[in-house]
Amino acid sequence: MITWNRAYRGAHLSLSQRRWLSKLTLERLATRPVQSYISTSNNPYLNLSLEHYLLQKSSPESTILLLYVNRPSIIIGRNQNPWLEVNLSLLSPAPRAATNSEPELAGSFLGAVDLVRRRSGGGTVFHDEGNVNWTVICSSKTFTRDKHAEMVTRALRSLGVERARVNERHDIVLDQGERGGDVVDGADMHVTPFTRQNAASRPLKVSGSAYKLTRQRALHHGTCLLSSPNLNVIPHYLHSPSKPFMSARGVESVSSPVGNILLENEEFMGAVQKQFAVMYSESRATELQEVGLEWLENETVGKGYDELNSLDWTYLQTPQFNVSNAADALASTDVQFTVRNGTITAGVLRSRNNSAFSQLGEDSVGTRLHEIAAWSTALPRMFTGVDRAECDKLATWLESVLPPSHKTAGHS
Amino acid sequence: MSVSKSALVRALHYTSVATRPRNTCLPRSLSYRQLHATSRLDVVKPFLLADIGEGITECQLIQWFVQPGARVEQFDKLCEVQSDKASVEITSPFDGVIKKLHYEPDDMAITGKPLVDIDIQSEISDEDAEKLGGTNGKQGPADESVAGYAVQAGGGSEEIAAEPETAARGTPEQAQQHRPRHSREDKGSLATPAVRHLIKELDVSITDVQGTGRDGRVLKEDVHRHVSQQTQEPVSREPTGAAVREDRKAPLTPVQMQMFKTMTRSLNIPHFLYTCAADMGAITTLRKKLNAAATSPEQKLTHLPFILKAVSLALQHHPLVNSSLDTRDPKKPALTYRGTHNFGIAIDAPSGLLVPVVHNVQDLSIAEIAVQLRQLSDKARNNKLAPSDFSGATFTISNIGSVGGGVVAPVITEPQVAILGVGRSKLVPAFDENEELVKKEELVLSWSADHRIVDGAECGRCAERVRALLEEPGRMMVEMR
Repeated sequence: MITWNRAYRGAHLSLSQRRWLSKLTLERLATRPVQSYISTSNNPYLNLSLEHYLLQKSSPESTILLLYVNRPSIIIGRNQNPWLEVNLSLLSPAPRAATNSEPELAGSFLGAVDLVRRRSGGGTVFHDEGNVNWTVICSSKTFTRDKHAEMVTRALRSLGVERARVNERHDIVLDQGERGGDVVDGADMHVTPFTRQNAASRPLKVSGSAYKLTRQRALHHGTCLLSSPNLNVIPHYLHSPSKPFMSARGVESVSSPVGNILLENEEFMGAVQKQFAVMYSESRATELQEVGLEWLENETVGKGYDELNSLDWTYLQTPQFNVSNAADALASTDVQFTVRNGTITAGVLRSRNNSAFSQLGEDSVGTRLHEIAAWSTALPRMFTGVDRAECDKLATWLESVLPPSHKTAGHS
Repeated sequence: MSVSKSALVRALHYTSVATRPRNTCLPRSLSYRQLHATSRLDVVKPFLLADIGEGITECQLIQWFVQPGARVEQFDKLCEVQSDKASVEITSPFDGVIKKLHYEPDDMAITGKPLVDIDIQSEISDEDAEKLGGTNGKQGPADESVAGYAVQAGGGSEEIAAEPETAARGTPEQAQQHRPRHSREDKGSLATPAVRHLIKELDVSITDVQGTGRDGRVLKEDVHRHVSQQTQEPVSREPTGAAVREDRKAPLTPVQMQMFKTMTRSLNIPHFLYTCAADMGAITTLRKKLNAAATSPEQKLTHLPFILKAVSLALQHHPLVNSSLDTRDPKKPALTYRGTHNFGIAIDAPSGLLVPVVHNVQDLSIAEIAVQLRQLSDKARNNKLAPSDFSGATFTISNIGSVGGGVVAPVITEPQVAILGVGRSKLVPAFDENEELVKKEELVLSWSADHRIVDGAECGRCAERVRALLEEPGRMMVEMR
């Protein structure tokens, strides 16, 4: 009996009821072979912590489905570089629209957008209320990368979305263009009647996947763009002005054109839950269990939540990268930084017109990049003997490429 | 007075054969003369990074959960790696002690190459042995058993040989657990590492051998007996005199990977080729005169700086060839006319093809260009090129002439729209104005251009302008600022 309606009526359970649910759920976690969950919270830190908890604590042979929707947030992959992937200046609660060169954005800012680093691999995605996230956790023995992407595609097709298919990168895309003449196998999730080799327009991506694999368990989670109101704004958030100036190790995002499927959240979630039950449950029906904020009482979930929330996790888990303004033809002084684990380990200023040269001061080594409040004050402290005007010019450039964070710790 | 078995094993466990003191109190049945073991000091084996599927040849190391010296048990987490979309936890298949980590965090770990060196202290099955590297670098099943310390005495001391791996655990209860586990892996056949080594050596299947030891354990005599009962001769591996021609899989080096990625993107560009031959006589004469007057070897000029300057002067008249095409949105290609001339110079470095950039060629004199080229090639040879040396190219010049070549068809790197390939100049017979046969020094210039942006006529005009400038260097002087 599907009971997911309750989640969206915003039902607040009484304290005694909540605790009872938790205990029962914990028991289920250890025993039931097939479990379905839906989150009542739109807090991305909580939802990702719940997901991680389910991965770690569920019994090795069980199969689990989790569905959740996040408030506007940007989720970067485990090993990605937030400065390279995200336009950080847009994240601050008080965006400086006047200094941006995109006047069309003024007025369409989303206010505060969370930045979260998840624990699975892959690229950067934008979540909002028009995007539903689905996670399947199963035994690593039976895991394949396509299995659950196909499951979600079946769910979409059952709702009439016949253009949906799984592509080579295990993403779900909608084929564009006219219907082709050939007959296609309805059970093949990798081709639709609209698929063609040299399509006039590229298929639109509606779902991206990422994975986390441990010895016994495999986690596959993906997004699904149903009715996001922010499609025209997302490219601005995910296009960082610092890209030409950074060289980084680590996984880069592969950008694709995206589109909305135009379904209601509840419709989609119901269909996914149904396909999941058909695949895994003997009775072909599963009970959808609610999980939410009350789970923070659990110690493991709480610790995971604190870790995801911390600025250290978000910024200091970045692989080594270099920042340099060599590609900026207008600059008169070269600046170059090496950043490791989110802290500056080396830096040098070099004039392009003469042989003036300044190296990063000893006590500035180890400065955390995300803790720099303003480059105009930080830069003179880092480099001695540099012309003030040059410093100011560089500080302005650095403000746009490595925007100081306006957030204080403890954002939740 | 015999020492307890566990104490004996502990003594053997922590000392290598070479340092084992001769006057240790050993039970009579074990004497060094009976030991078959050649000193197996290499108990430490490299554990290879397993194939994580999807044709992935390398993945990035995110974090280590262990350090050298740490004891691990089977299934303890070693590290976390990331490949494109998946972050994977790697666990240890053995009990043991970590000796060496082969990568730093952020490094790219290569599939099939060693990940950690581990001092293995458990009995390992053949499947697990395949995860290790051999001592001579060969991959594949390790052909020696790792438990070298397990006393390989003959005959009646099988009991003791069997006990060490269990006693080393410390408690018999744990031993019970481990023995059944290994028997499951061996498909029901129990045998010590020594016996299994023998079985492998004699190329016998363990399931064929009837065990007469405790619990149906297969002993050495059983194996020998089995072999002598066979009518066929035991397989003896002939020394491979003739070289074995085998395929060798190799992961791509970082430079190869970069080239692979870049060139794959270039597949989208419709290339067309335009070639013309320039008479380099005038340039060569000019060079010879200038080089004769040069005060140091560094000041000697090759023809490349002249070519770069000629191209830059021609691009002033044909800015389309120096533009950048952005095709991220296939419906809206964005063309940018670039203000500066930044030439990528293809260099054959020890690690492969590198393309560092000479910036602002339009503002440099030929001498300055020559200096930059020399600096870049020195840095490339010493692996000292920085990321800023690779960024911002608007046009590329590939001088394959240092190797050879006449007409070449170079590949454009996006977002550029053209590339020039320079062959090797050679003397050819030609006719002068009086229709007399003369020697000419001819250099073939091969232009590839992106036909989505540049058409044949435009590219041809640019190429002919460059040719005219090279054939009559005085014209370059007239155009220079």
